[in-house]
Amino acid sequence: MNGARHAPEAERTDFLAVLAKVCLVTFLTSLGIVVLYPLLWMALNGFKTNAEIFGNPFALPSGFGVANYISAWNQGIRNYIATSVIVTVGSAICTVLISAWTAYGLTRSKLPGKPFFVGIVLGGLMLSPTVAVIPLVRMMQDLGLYNTYWALIILYTAFRIPFTTFLIRAYMLGLPRDLDEAAIMDGASERQIFWKVTLPLCKPILVSCVILHVLFAWNEYLFAMIFTSGADLQTLPVGLTSIMAKHGTNYAVVFAAMTLSALPIVITFFAAQRFFIRGLAEGIGK
Amino acid sequence: MADLSLRNIRKAYADFEVLHGIDLEISSGEFIVFVGPSGCGKSTLLRSIAGLETITSGDLIIDNERMNAVAPSKRGISMVFQSYALYPHMTVFENMAFGLRIAGTPKSEIDERVRRAAEILQLDKYLHRQPKALSGGQRQRVAIGRAIVRNPRVFLFDEPLSNLDAALRVGTRIEIAKLKRSMPDTTMIYVTHDQVEAMTLADRIVVFNDGRIEQVGTPTDLYRKPANLFVAQFIGSPAMNILKGKVVERSKTSARCLLDCGVSFETEVEPGRLSQGEAISVGIRPEDVELHDGTATDLAFTGSIDLVEHLGEVQILYLDLPDIREKFLMKAGGQSTFERMQGICFTVRRQNLHIFDSSGNAVRGER
Ligand SMILES: Nc1ncnc2c1ncn2[C@@H]1O[C@H](COP(=O)(O)OP(=O)(O)OP(=O)(O)O)[C@@H](O)[C@H]1O
Ligand SMILES: [Mg+2]
Repeated sequence: MNGARHAPEAERTDFLAVLAKVCLVTFLTSLGIVVLYPLLWMALNGFKTNAEIFGNPFALPSGFGVANYISAWNQGIRNYIATSVIVTVGSAICTVLISAWTAYGLTRSKLPGKPFFVGIVLGGLMLSPTVAVIPLVRMMQDLGLYNTYWALIILYTAFRIPFTTFLIRAYMLGLPRDLDEAAIMDGASERQIFWKVTLPLCKPILVSCVILHVLFAWNEYLFAMIFTSGADLQTLPVGLTSIMAKHGTNYAVVFAAMTLSALPIVITFFAAQRFFIRGLAEGIGK
Repeated sequence: MADLSLRNIRKAYADFEVLHGIDLEISSGEFIVFVGPSGCGKSTLLRSIAGLETITSGDLIIDNERMNAVAPSKRGISMVFQSYALYPHMTVFENMAFGLRIAGTPKSEIDERVRRAAEILQLDKYLHRQPKALSGGQRQRVAIGRAIVRNPRVFLFDEPLSNLDAALRVGTRIEIAKLKRSMPDTTMIYVTHDQVEAMTLADRIVVFNDGRIEQVGTPTDLYRKPANLFVAQFIGSPAMNILKGKVVERSKTSARCLLDCGVSFETEVEPGRLSQGEAISVGIRPEDVELHDGTATDLAFTGSIDLVEHLGEVQILYLDLPDIREKFLMKAGGQSTFERMQGICFTVRRQNLHIFDSSGNAVRGER
């Protein structure tokens, strides 16, 4: 009796659940297509000729010759990638190590007036890079660092330390104090505690910070454009615009160049997908 | 091999004084247990001895050397934390070897010392596991192992068993007692909330209250001759019953006292204590109460049963005594049957009365 009355209702909820699922899957698939199709289109157009692109933009290329890619590679992409990698890796290491050391000091030391120092470091978050550009240019020129890798490494490090310190500090505050004390009893110095106990325990947040920094440094445009001028010292975002300016009409080469420049980050993403997602989650405070 | 003396140790956080002058002499190889209510400063004192807290004033002396300003690792002290504080990213072996490695001990010696400690603690099979792959009891043993390998002169434990379940706690307690026996020269200081741990492990127990020492003594001393009301009620479970009363008649060597429940008794008192009319408290342990059939003449109490707790081998009776609001607890054998509201007569031997004067200090009568 009861069962009979309940049966149609159960069927309806089943139906609704399936409907909801179908809608969701459709939505996500369309979203995926919207995001992925332009990328695919870009990569495919890199194989076409200019005529093909204009004649039949959405068709598959007639052949998969890599001439455009080779020519893009030789026209500077190689240098741009190298510069980007050097600047990104260099500044990521500096930023994360300095920030971790700072965060350690801010969470573990008995420094008098600690809130003041925390305020100074975190106040850096407020500082807009654009405001500081002109004095920075003068400074870099005076130091002889203008148009070198160092200019970008130093600037990226300096401007990302507040944010990175903020993340690592929050994580360190959550680490149990007992471990430090156990290490003190074991005779470890501050330096040894930092390297052998705290830093290994912070690995998850360090990975997140590296990822967030890489995303930032790889895509940064303003500083990269202002502080470098020679083609052999330009990073990818700047280099791409100059390729576009140079080959404005040869779209196939431009597409190939764009595809090449996206590749390293895409490959990194797939290699470290797990960390990426966690890194972003940590970054937004999850 | 370490004599430890604490001389007028005070510890204050900003303006808030937690320890108000602790004096304590501990001789080499003793097992000392700190007990006291929560927040009375046991951990603070332990951490001050370890060097994790700076001492505000007073002297900490280990083997005739003042240690106040000596680095924690140079004091010859190991500490086992309540949370174990194992390094989660290191294996059991690395956890135990960490201190030795930092001290620059040769590799072969580290290996040997860690293996020997692991053997004593039956950890040989787990040396290459990380702490997260161990049970609570095993982690506890690793924490002890880490403390042992450094060959400390003084061993500090801060509630080491409080995270274990009851059965494991008993097992580990016995292990610790064995460990102590195998290290007869090592001084151990152990903080606990557990009466049984305190009574079974300690050579001497130190009872703290509110940043002061109330009494120091062997477990039986504290149980039989509590120095004051606080210790009397703190040691023993269920807690001692306290009956209020006053001195009605004071002669040269004895005093006649009348309790609020109507019972009176006479006791010998040394001169100078207890004046006529002084309010007193009399403590009676639940286990010292003896039932009788109503024929006793001295110290004959009557009451009625309000509640019976049957614990298997004993029963705890909650009694109402005339004119007294608090329940009076007594222990009775597990065999007899009792009923609610049943009237009961009982007595207490004179030597089992604990008498305290109006300021709560014990008055030693005839003993
Ligand atoms: N860093 C601190 N700053 C200020 N007060 C503190 C600090 N640490 C402890 N206290 C205070 O000192 C007192 C003693 O604390 P302690 O941890 O020694 O108590 P305890 O006897 O170990 O208690 P429990 O049995 O609960 O562990 C408490 O009142 C506590 O609030
Ligand atoms: Mg404590």
